[in-house]
Amino acid sequence: MLELLPLQTEAQAIADSINYVWVLVVCFLIFFMQPGFALLEAGQVRAKNVGNVLTKNMTDWALGVLTYFIVGAGLASIVGMLTSGASLDVMAAFSYIGAPGSTGWINWVFGAVFAMTAATIVSGAVAERMDFTAYVVFVVVLTALIYPTVQGLTWAGGLLSGPTADGTGGFIGEALGVGYLDFAGATVVHMVGGLAGLVAAKMVGPRKGRFDENGDSQPIPGHSMLLAVLGTLILAFGWYGFNVGTQATVLAVAEDGSLTFMGAALGRVVLVTTLGMGAGAVAAMAVSTAWQGKPDPLWMANGLLAGLVAVTGAVPHVTWWGGLLIGAIGGALVLPAYRWTVDTLQIDDVCGVFAVHGAAGAVGTILIPVFATSGSGTAILGDSWAFLGVDQLAMQIVGVAVIGIWTVLATGVTGLVVDATIGLRVSEEEEEAGLDAGEHGISTYPEFVGDSGPEASRRTVSADGGSGPVQTDGGVEEAASTDPVEGGESDD
Amino acid sequence: MTDADIEMVVAIIRPDRLTDVKRALAEVGAPSLTVTDVSGRGSQPAKKSQWRGEEYVVDLHQKVKVECVVADIPAEDVAEAIADAAHTGEKGDGKIFVLPVADAYQVRTGKTGPDAV
Repeated sequence: MLELLPLQTEAQAIADSINYVWVLVVCFLIFFMQPGFALLEAGQVRAKNVGNVLTKNMTDWALGVLTYFIVGAGLASIVGMLTSGASLDVMAAFSYIGAPGSTGWINWVFGAVFAMTAATIVSGAVAERMDFTAYVVFVVVLTALIYPTVQGLTWAGGLLSGPTADGTGGFIGEALGVGYLDFAGATVVHMVGGLAGLVAAKMVGPRKGRFDENGDSQPIPGHSMLLAVLGTLILAFGWYGFNVGTQATVLAVAEDGSLTFMGAALGRVVLVTTLGMGAGAVAAMAVSTAWQGKPDPLWMANGLLAGLVAVTGAVPHVTWWGGLLIGAIGGALVLPAYRWTVDTLQIDDVCGVFAVHGAAGAVGTILIPVFATSGSGTAILGDSWAFLGVDQLAMQIVGVAVIGIWTVLATGVTGLVVDATIGLRVSEEEEEAGLDAGEHGISTYPEFVGDSGPEASRRTVSADGGSGPVQTDGGVEEAASTDPVEGGESDD
Repeated sequence: MTDADIEMVVAIIRPDRLTDVKRALAEVGAPSLTVTDVSGRGSQPAKKSQWRGEEYVVDLHQKVKVECVVADIPAEDVAEAIADAAHTGEKGDGKIFVLPVADAYQVRTGKTGPDAV
């Protein structure tokens, strides 16, 4: 036995090195979802509000990481301890700050990039009219309290986590005999962001002109489809880190020191992620064609993301065809869920974050037991399928309900407090002039909107976004252009 | 100084006809012009566009305004040259107006009247 020990230590060191370098790489990938969100949201707002939505996106990340370091990550552990059979140990909860060991800080960053993804979703829902200071408060509360609580209830061993041999599982997990399944955060991250955005958008009210006097929605087109679609694809790139990176163990160490490459697990996660986003985009393209007569690029982009959201909780748990179906359902629901948000709830969710992140996250996560893979299941299309049972299905529904109710209530209370103190919304005049000018004193496109300097005047009328500026050169053929400036002068 | 009238030809045309119009003006001997991006409404039917499937109407179409001041060359020739070059036969081809000009000054030389044009 004594002779085995050095070998085992060596194997552990090798596995840790590989696994933690992998975790760091995926952290950087997940961080790259931030520019994706920034572009996606910037493209969907009008030119006069682009700088503001970009500032809010940067604030999500910058202020969010500080808040999550000082409060959020520790609070998540405390919530986990308080809502399970584990005993409360505040020092242990905050040990990542003072006594991180060799991996504590890496693990914290891994947690932080997920937290900031949830935070950055909200700005898309409340764009073009929320006061910047009010938004800053939302960021702090989201990264200090709302998201960490959900993390505590799930991944940090709290309320919804599965039963353990010594009875220290989450209270609901112990009661139902199963743990809540949400692998990379379809609900923990995305539904939280989507619902928080929905509630905040409801409380701040619709943009001026979004609904007419009869309550019918009026379109307010965003300023760049290009940015929105590029942002979507960059988000999808980062999402590989989000989903595949949650399979954090690449090399597993057994008791005897032998190493196992976790290729099959990684393969399932990356395959289901890819099929989910493809199916989501295709489904949204089909639904938008049926609904509007033409395939719509923005719906397709939203569907791609909804497909990703829908499979995010499911990736290691479901069959490949199950993942494809879950992604397709998520993508197909985007357009009807958005219409329901706007037409029935009368909520002006600018970027459709509830449809993309909220609805798709909830549906995809609830469906995990229905499309689950199991070693002892029935072989269908080359994959082993089994229903995980009514208990698991019940747990998924209870989990979605618990996370949803908490998020709606906590965001609602935050909104009420902010409304009574700072005020949620900018003035009508500022909304008209644009938040770039009002909140930041800048202009994102000075030449485009005629603010290029003291001498500049408004040169273009934005009527239908048709042709660009007049071509002032290169038009006249050589033969005719003797001297265009003086040529009109007569000879007499 | 002659007694020739100074006239301004103002043409509202399709932006994509501008290159042809510039060529036609040069050929007719009146290459000097001022061009402005404008929006307007005439007989061209309103366009429908959509955002997230919600339709909106665009009834101001992007056009280009060409202003050309002439003295020795008949304004009718200039107007016809522009009309030929800008013509597609579809609604939205635009309009041409001829206006009298009271006087003209050339900034560089100080010339006035038709000589300045």
